[in-house]
Amino acid sequence: MNGFSKDELMTVLLARELRDGDLAVTGASSLVPVAACLLAQRLHAPNLTLITPAGVVNPKPERLYRSASDGRWVEGAEAIGTAYDLFEMSENGRLDVMFYGGVQIDRRGNINLTGTGYDANGHPRFRGPGLANTSFAVVSKRILLFSAAHTRRTFVENVEFLTAAGHLGGRGEREKAGITTEGPVLCITPLVTFEFDEEKCMQVRSIHPGVDPGEVVENTGFPLRMTTAWPTTALPTVEELSLLRRFVDPTGELSA
Amino acid sequence: MRTTSIENRDRPARRSKLTSLVDALASVEAGQLVAVGGLWFHNNPCASVRELARRKIRNLRVVAAPPSSYAVDLLIGAGCVAQATVGHVSFEHLGFAPNFRRAAQEGSVRIVDADEATILGGLMATVEHLDAHPVTSVKGTDIGRSSAAPRNDAGIVAPVAMRPDVCLLHAQEADIYGNVRNLGTPFCDPLFAKASKRVIVTVDRIVDNDEIRKQPNRTTIPGYLVDAVVEAPFGAHPCSSHGIHVHDDACISAYIKAGANAETWRREYLGPYVEEPESLEDYVARVGGATRILELSEVVR
Repeated sequence: MNGFSKDELMTVLLARELRDGDLAVTGASSLVPVAACLLAQRLHAPNLTLITPAGVVNPKPERLYRSASDGRWVEGAEAIGTAYDLFEMSENGRLDVMFYGGVQIDRRGNINLTGTGYDANGHPRFRGPGLANTSFAVVSKRILLFSAAHTRRTFVENVEFLTAAGHLGGRGEREKAGITTEGPVLCITPLVTFEFDEEKCMQVRSIHPGVDPGEVVENTGFPLRMTTAWPTTALPTVEELSLLRRFVDPTGELSA
Repeated sequence: MRTTSIENRDRPARRSKLTSLVDALASVEAGQLVAVGGLWFHNNPCASVRELARRKIRNLRVVAAPPSSYAVDLLIGAGCVAQATVGHVSFEHLGFAPNFRRAAQEGSVRIVDADEATILGGLMATVEHLDAHPVTSVKGTDIGRSSAAPRNDAGIVAPVAMRPDVCLLHAQEADIYGNVRNLGTPFCDPLFAKASKRVIVTVDRIVDNDEIRKQPNRTTIPGYLVDAVVEAPFGAHPCSSHGIHVHDDACISAYIKAGANAETWRREYLGPYVEEPESLEDYVARVGGATRILELSEVVR
């Protein structure tokens, strides 16, 4: 891609969705969402609170570390919580934003990280890593989805195992399950930004610069509304990219 | 609320807990419920699980911190595990947990799909001396149908009290009385320590009791909770030991590669890094020595 990597683009796009004052929690393999939180703090959200999955509150790292719970995130942080502190948020809410990716993400934004190809005995042909916290999908005010892969294997009609709740069966289904939060509001991929329509089905909000719409349709495992031309995603600005590279990711982890 | 009686301590709370790895683990037996601490590939009790693997203990039930990795994957790969209660098991950006994955796909280990709320709920029930601890936030998912998430009379997911027979932890420092310091995140370890019958902690270094007393607020697990302390420098390798050394990308990648099938696993990892080393010192020498491990922070991204 011209002048920036796939991960840099996704980082900038996620950062734009974060609000000043948000309390955001990240999960495993979360280099992009963590970088997005740190970038948003430099841009428009200086009072965004970031909590890593290791319970580290507001890290201020000199560079990005690839493991979400690398010990080097600790130095300079404001507090070190334990699993009990994450449990408190699991039950009481408190968090505004949670990020999820998936082995499968379906058109309703439901997440499968557990397995695919289950046989009659319940053994999966492919066993995924599983998820440490499904509760945040229930109690977080908003969910921002992201996926480094945009393929038919990832974006499916229905997940085979429901590890974390998106919009479940569609509009009104979260409420029926006793869930009071908004759920997934968008999904950022290397090709597009998805949003959810009135029936809580994923639709293209914007297509990234240089991406062919045919490529999106071909790599998405559910139908997409194409009545009007999809808007083009606004390119990362010089300011966004320079803050990202100078202060958040000086060692170039997102462009490697 | 709880029908079981309060258990009596069979040994004084304060005494020297310092012992060897072999002696500390001698009472771990087939069929026990073993909790493994740390999170992902950080602060895992690696020297302890390799010792259990060497002893070829079978039919363990294992519960891991909600995000887990090497410790549970190695025990599965060594054939020690009958049942694993886990949330997430992976090597994060480095790859999938190969033995866990293979065992789940073949059905050779019973995988109980759990979650932070169900694992912590079960531990908290024990800590609070309750039969079960309801958690209100497990809704809408297939995790809620797992045996890790039974429903109570009100229809709420209420994990039953989980009481590990033994918990294996790795921290950075402790004194001989078992006053433990985590230099990074303690994560689940203090809760595991409170909920388990027997607590075994390996540490990178033993410090003087005077040292602990100078900064008592840094003690993360007080000695009265601990049964055995083992000085095990680099006992978390190839995982990180927060504040001492980072994880070993190269060794973990080789581990994942070896785990691709049962034969390469045995030949390329279980043999040379688990069964053949005669001691932790020998293991450390085989992976390049102390200096190499301490310098990993300069190369590991």
